Amino acid sequence: MIAAIGLVLGIVAGLFLEPTVPTWLQPYLPIAVVAALDAVFGGLRALLDGIFDDRVFVVSFVANVLVAALIVYLGDQLGVGSQLSTGVVVVLGIRIFSNTAAIRRHLFSA
Amino acid sequence: MVLLTNLVEDSLDQGYARAAARRAAGEPASRSGPVFLGVGLLAVGLLLATAAVQTRERASATAEARQVLTAEIDDRSAANERLERQLERDRSAVSAARRASLRITAEGTRLARSLTLLESATGAAAVVGPGMLVRLEDAPDDPADADADPRTDDVTQGRVGDRDLQTVVNEIWAAGAEAVAVNEQRLTALSAIRAAGEAILVDFRPINPPYEVHAIGPDDMRTRFVEGFGGSYLQVLRDYGIEFDVQPDDEVRLPASAGVAIRYAVSPSAVRSEGSGSGRPAAEEQRETQP
Repeated sequence: MIAAIGLVLGIVAGLFLEPTVPTWLQPYLPIAVVAALDAVFGGLRALLDGIFDDRVFVVSFVANVLVAALIVYLGDQLGVGSQLSTGVVVVLGIRIFSNTAAIRRHLFSA
Repeated sequence: MVLLTNLVEDSLDQGYARAAARRAAGEPASRSGPVFLGVGLLAVGLLLATAAVQTRERASATAEARQVLTAEIDDRSAANERLERQLERDRSAVSAARRASLRITAEGTRLARSLTLLESATGAAAVVGPGMLVRLEDAPDDPADADADPRTDDVTQGRVGDRDLQTVVNEIWAAGAEAVAVNEQRLTALSAIRAAGEAILVDFRPINPPYEVHAIGPDDMRTRFVEGFGGSYLQVLRDYGIEFDVQPDDEVRLPASAGVAIRYAVSPSAVRSEGSGSGRPAAEEQRETQP
């Protein structure tokens, strides 16, 4: 319950407060979103598997976002930023897909 | 392949399985509580919403910037036109004053007459007279070509190019024209018809189709143009779908050229004796090679 309220509150706060993202952080936002989605779908799948753990979820979310941003930052410094972000998106994309596939199997048993 | 297989099979964070194993082993579950999860999800929501807002803002910022630039272009074009009209007014005032002061002496009257002739010949003054109009228009868009990549050469086949316009104008001069203007832009001896990308520039100003070449000249100018190389060139253009027509016009009005700049040629020796080499690298270099 508190979890759902937290999610809704976060979305509402983001939409209405419109926090300004500093310019130097803007390139990492899309990657952070993909990483967050990966953590969210992973958590959802764990929930359906019956092994959800809130600590693991929060830690994996924070770590995912930070590591993804760090990789892209490193890539930018090395001059291969776009290639590395492509890599991050591919890896996280595959994970999101297989997690949603597992969720689908749980929900529709198909 | 191992990498991909790993990715697909290990898609769930192993932390979940370990935590479950720990719980199964009887360890007390991490009692960080639902508040912890709530805060985590709040962060997730905040991130997603911020990204959404950011994306939307960026799109609108791009559109705004484009609008600002378009408005600025319109503004500057209008200012340009205003200045041009002002220039024309000032010029006619100057020539009226000049005529008035030259009229005082007989020598001046003669000078004024030759000045008028020279001004019409060089394009410094507006002129009126009988002549003709040559209209050129791009081939109508072939619907089959509409999807084609505009960067490939095929699409430009039916378009009037700078070469075409150059040829037509040169042939009109050759047919005896005394004054020529392309889309209301008077040509002088120093005018250039060029292309920049897709646009044709006359004296560095872009012009749009249809291209109208007005010319003032003797009565036989039109027949000489049509029966000469110009006419056959236009026939060839017609094969590419470019439409043209040549009409006589009893009263052609051509404006003065906006770009009549007076330049003075200076001989290098004069520059050297003057001793001011600034802005004249050729003269300067020459001086340096002579110790």
